[in-house]
Amino acid sequence: MFKATADWLDDRTGFRALMETALDEPIPGGARWRYVFGSALSSAFMIQLATGIFLMLAYSPSSSTAWGSVFYINNEMAGGWFLRGIHHFGSQAMIVLLALHLIQVLWAGAYRAPREVNWWFGMALMFITLGFSLTGYLLPWDQKGYWATKVATNIMGGAPVLGAYLQKVVVGGPDYGNQTLTRFYGLHVGVLPILMLMCVAAHVALFRRHGLTPPRNAHTKPEGKFWPEQLFMDTLFTAAVFGVLVLLVVTEGGANLDAPADPSSSDYPARPEWYFLSLFQMLKLFPGDREVIGTILIPTAIMVMMMLIPLFDRILPRGLAHFLACSFVFALVGGAGYLTFKAFQSDARDTMYQASRQKADVARQRALFLAGDPEVGIPPDGGSYILMRDPLSHGRETLDSKCLSCHVFDGKGSGQQIAADLKNFGSYAWIRGLLEKPDSPAYFGKIPQCDGMAEWKRNSKLTPKQLDDVADFVASFAQIKSDLTPEEWLNSPGISDHPGVAPFQKECGACHAIEGLCEGGTRDAPKLFAWGSPQWITRMIQKPGAPDLYGYLEKKAQMPSFAGQLTDNDVLTIVRYLKNDYHGVPVSNEKQTNPPKTEVSHSEVKR
Amino acid sequence: MNRRDLYRFGTIALGGAVAFALAVPGVAYLLDPLRKGSKKGDFQSLTKLRSLKPGEPRSFAVLDEHRDAWVRYPREPIGSVWLVRQALGAKPEVIAFTSECPHLGCAVNLTAEGTSFLCPCHTSAFGLDGHQKNEIPPRGMDTLEVELSLGDDPDVLVKFQRFRTSEKEKTPLV
Repeated sequence: MFKATADWLDDRTGFRALMETALDEPIPGGARWRYVFGSALSSAFMIQLATGIFLMLAYSPSSSTAWGSVFYINNEMAGGWFLRGIHHFGSQAMIVLLALHLIQVLWAGAYRAPREVNWWFGMALMFITLGFSLTGYLLPWDQKGYWATKVATNIMGGAPVLGAYLQKVVVGGPDYGNQTLTRFYGLHVGVLPILMLMCVAAHVALFRRHGLTPPRNAHTKPEGKFWPEQLFMDTLFTAAVFGVLVLLVVTEGGANLDAPADPSSSDYPARPEWYFLSLFQMLKLFPGDREVIGTILIPTAIMVMMMLIPLFDRILPRGLAHFLACSFVFALVGGAGYLTFKAFQSDARDTMYQASRQKADVARQRALFLAGDPEVGIPPDGGSYILMRDPLSHGRETLDSKCLSCHVFDGKGSGQQIAADLKNFGSYAWIRGLLEKPDSPAYFGKIPQCDGMAEWKRNSKLTPKQLDDVADFVASFAQIKSDLTPEEWLNSPGISDHPGVAPFQKECGACHAIEGLCEGGTRDAPKLFAWGSPQWITRMIQKPGAPDLYGYLEKKAQMPSFAGQLTDNDVLTIVRYLKNDYHGVPVSNEKQTNPPKTEVSHSEVKR
Repeated sequence: MNRRDLYRFGTIALGGAVAFALAVPGVAYLLDPLRKGSKKGDFQSLTKLRSLKPGEPRSFAVLDEHRDAWVRYPREPIGSVWLVRQALGAKPEVIAFTSECPHLGCAVNLTAEGTSFLCPCHTSAFGLDGHQKNEIPPRGMDTLEVELSLGDDPDVLVKFQRFRTSEKEKTPLV
């Protein structure tokens, strides 16, 4: 039955003859291990094709969806991490196999007449493979891909005459974004695979036309066949390569996904994939005006030389030409190896690089944590907004750059401290500490114009218990919702009968006013309604000189207004950071939370 | 088995092993959607009972947070329901229909006269009580669970659900 069907199919298609032609290729001198690289390379390409199609089914190329879809593939879809991991390490295997295949062909002299054209097809395939690497690296739209691609395309833009136009066309505009992704994606999954398949077809057809280059000792050994001897070796080697890929994927836990692309980050240490590191390092040897030598001239010259290798035979004796060609390529490999080593070495010694890499890793872990958190997840406008809206990342960073030149946080700042410590600002512990020692550097100790609290402290008659109650009462101000009026708040349960109200009215209320509760007026002081709440802090950041805040101080003694200098999101994330309102804990060795260090004597600190 | 047979067998076995190692995660990956269930809705308040008039259907959007693959959307409309208040004294007081047509899932609309429901895709027609008025849909409109909150000004609470289309039986999607 099976045979009858096969016979019928063969009669209609002639597939048996085709299979025979494909498999019965003669191998002069017999099958050899050194012939496995070309086959393994095409197998690796097939693996890339298969895994690539799987990835295509779930990947979405736009700046708002790319990172999220890759995250989803990696972390949510069954087998996604494995397929993406094989694709990632498979691309590196392609480069290694390509280099081995090239060296084998060169060593065997298989580029010589009449096989020159096939050598050039091989070169074309190399360019296509590198094109796959460059375009694929960007697609996750993570920091790594974003910055590496920016560097690579800027190198292209540096090319004389047409460079700038070429760059704009490739990038899809003056900036990197949606069009860059759609273009790179189109190249990666459409244009390059078709070119690759066409060139592979031509490469194999030409190879079959001229046959295998017979080794010198071919006549001493019996002729072999592609099937099954050579194909077995090829398959065994391919399986071994695949085994290495699986091992890498499993030990590395799949392919890395960096934090989402952030065009505003100032210190991301961009590095290309390891096989481009030699070019990266060479660039450093040609600073300034001479850069184009390292980025374009030398690589182009090398490529031209490579293309010309088959033609050396025409002007030089055969043996000498082969020797020179091999020397050239080995020198190239040696040089690239040396530069790669130097690149790794200089990074290993560069503490600044390591610090920024560490920072980038913290951001990466934070982004992955938040994206996977069911209560946070990836917002509709894209992965880039995960860290942007995260108080712990963006809030802390903005606090560092805008606030900590005057303020300190947990005792640490970046300038000379002239304002309070903001750690746990508005909390019970902060207020209790303030009431104990207002002239501590954590509070008003560094702000001579705000000495009112210290003056109060010298004359205060409140007992430690009363201070505890006052602190507890004032800490509750931060919970006042923004839609409450002072009157509504005073009438809500638990306020007017709070044990802290009486001492507050008696002593604090002498200077601080709250409508309906106390008049103030003994000394100038800010009003305290909703003090420490998000809306109060927001107002303090934007209008510190308002009459209800520190308007009574001289202009230059006031905190400067940050209105217009900070976006709404900046302010919101700072406020949430100060309120410890974020998911997860900071990724660092430091222990978390502890109010500013002030000695609180007499009574224990609650909470 | 001679040497050549070993090569033949080895080639097929090794090639098959590599293909298998890719096919297993590949199939799992392709079938991944089967692992995902649709989200179970909770009762949510759509309107006040007093804003519905007997016999006059009104459409309301159902709001919910939802996930679309990797994206987490904030609370926003995810579907709509028709609420029909019954004559005074009748039980139940309000009937809720999902606007998804039981035929092939288009959104069912009210006719201009307001006397029946009509699907704009394949003209499935239903009475205001949801019964099918022609042979196009497989069943009447799908009702949803309704509750009225306590008190003298009750809210209408509806539990939103989706059902399989083009079947005689009403089966919730899970």
